[in-house]
Amino acid sequence: MKLSRNSSLLLFIPALLFMSIPLYGLVTAVSQSLSDSGTWTFDYYRQLFQSERFMASLWFSLRTSLAATLLSIILGMAFTRFFHTLLEKMAPRLTVWIPMLFPHFVWGYMVILLLSETGVLSQLALLTGGIADTDEFPILTRDPYGIGIILTYVWKEVPLVILMLLPVYTSIRPEYYALVDTLGGTAWNRFFTVEVPHLLPVLIETILIVFSFTLSAYEVPAMLGTTFPEMISVLSYDWFYGSSWEDRPLAFASMVCVSFLLLVVSLLMYLYLNKARWRAMRGSRS
Amino acid sequence: MKNNKPVFTAVGIVFFIAPLLLLLLQSLSAPWRFQSGYGVDWKLESFRQLIRDPYLWEATWWSILIGFLVLVLNAVVGILTGKALSSYSFKGKPWVEALLLSPILIPVLAIAMGLHLFMIRLGLADTMMGVVIIHLVPTIPYSIKIFHNSYQQMGKALMEQPHILGAGFFTQLFTVELPLLRPALRSVTFLTIVISLSQYAITAIIGGGQVLTLPMVFFPFLENANASLMSAFSLWFAFVPVVMYILVEVILLLLPYSRVPWRNHR
Repeated sequence: MKLSRNSSLLLFIPALLFMSIPLYGLVTAVSQSLSDSGTWTFDYYRQLFQSERFMASLWFSLRTSLAATLLSIILGMAFTRFFHTLLEKMAPRLTVWIPMLFPHFVWGYMVILLLSETGVLSQLALLTGGIADTDEFPILTRDPYGIGIILTYVWKEVPLVILMLLPVYTSIRPEYYALVDTLGGTAWNRFFTVEVPHLLPVLIETILIVFSFTLSAYEVPAMLGTTFPEMISVLSYDWFYGSSWEDRPLAFASMVCVSFLLLVVSLLMYLYLNKARWRAMRGSRS
Repeated sequence: MKNNKPVFTAVGIVFFIAPLLLLLLQSLSAPWRFQSGYGVDWKLESFRQLIRDPYLWEATWWSILIGFLVLVLNAVVGILTGKALSSYSFKGKPWVEALLLSPILIPVLAIAMGLHLFMIRLGLADTMMGVVIIHLVPTIPYSIKIFHNSYQQMGKALMEQPHILGAGFFTQLFTVELPLLRPALRSVTFLTIVISLSQYAITAIIGGGQVLTLPMVFFPFLENANASLMSAFSLWFAFVPVVMYILVEVILLLLPYSRVPWRNHR
């Protein structure tokens, strides 16, 4: 048995090699953001937090990605909850996966085609007399509130949320619901005493995946965002590829800030999950 | 709970089928100007224009090749790690799992920026291999998860039996595990190729504009192409995963216990 235990450990080697790639990348990013031609400095971070452009961008990014995450999770969860029996069949499931077949920026283009001021919906509204001129159509893409970005993300992430939650919903045994019913529980009780404990680990993981992606991805905000306020990824990419080399450390510093934030959020959520798991094991509800 | 099928059909058509239809219709007709009074002007011009673009084909082949290499590496790392995670239990395993998921929680842009200098030093910047390596970061965590789940569903007993019967590592892998991992391999194929096709920023940083993948052509197109051409190009992105899927399906036929057309079966 000793031998097979050791060979199991050997199986982790490719994963370790892989993990060294993001680790090295992150460590380099941190060290680049802290060094000024060889000497340690916090200067770039000071510049960053004094920069109005950065602070506006950070606030806008957090707001946008938080909205996109919450909406995706709520809609995806509601969809899975109401339709999971139908989704066991192949054709409905494939229908729901359609947005996942396309990259995010392609879906972003579809949103532009549909909702821009000269887009399909605006033209249809004009045709049916809903609006008198295309100027009256609300600005939904490349808008200062990030509506286009949020819409694209929600549309793309809802299928992912369904994909993650569907196996959990189908695995909840009907006896649990029967128990709630016999004890006189309401639909609310069904949700909070049966579904939430089952869903919690996957739900937290999905929230983290969607939140970190929407906070830091470049493609969709680059297509559907405005120049001010801009998402933090677009700002960092501009600094990285901008005209002057002097902005590069700022690009590293801002990306490190986002990474740090996401790591702290992930850690807190995993700690919470662990605590919840431990409580569930002991069977106490307080 | 009982009669929600009409609602599902309505929601499905409006939010999932309509966007696809929109791209399809727009790609097959001239840009729409409804208010001008003209109807829809059907033409195949956009697709003709698209496939005449020499960059498109070059980028398509590059994307397929990069996607395939990313997929192979994903399968290797994912299968071995998934097997290790399901056959070996230890204290703090949830934390190891969380750690293996962390590359998709850290901004891949930060990782690509950090790796850029390293890639230059190794001579991997502006090369296909560099792009393949950076595309591993947002894909492998998903693959590990998928293969881990599959191994867990198989159960430990199925892993012990071939071992007891004296099968070596590779015999067990090819005759027992891989045939049972077929659904997982299909999901991983799909996921990795779509994620690899979605990367513009990190491909631009590591590939330096020298490695021409489909997103590298799509983004500049946005500025000056008309809606019909862009819609046709959008649909083209769904074509690559389909090609990859067929490719993987053919490779999967080589596994034992496959229903191959050239072998007799009852």
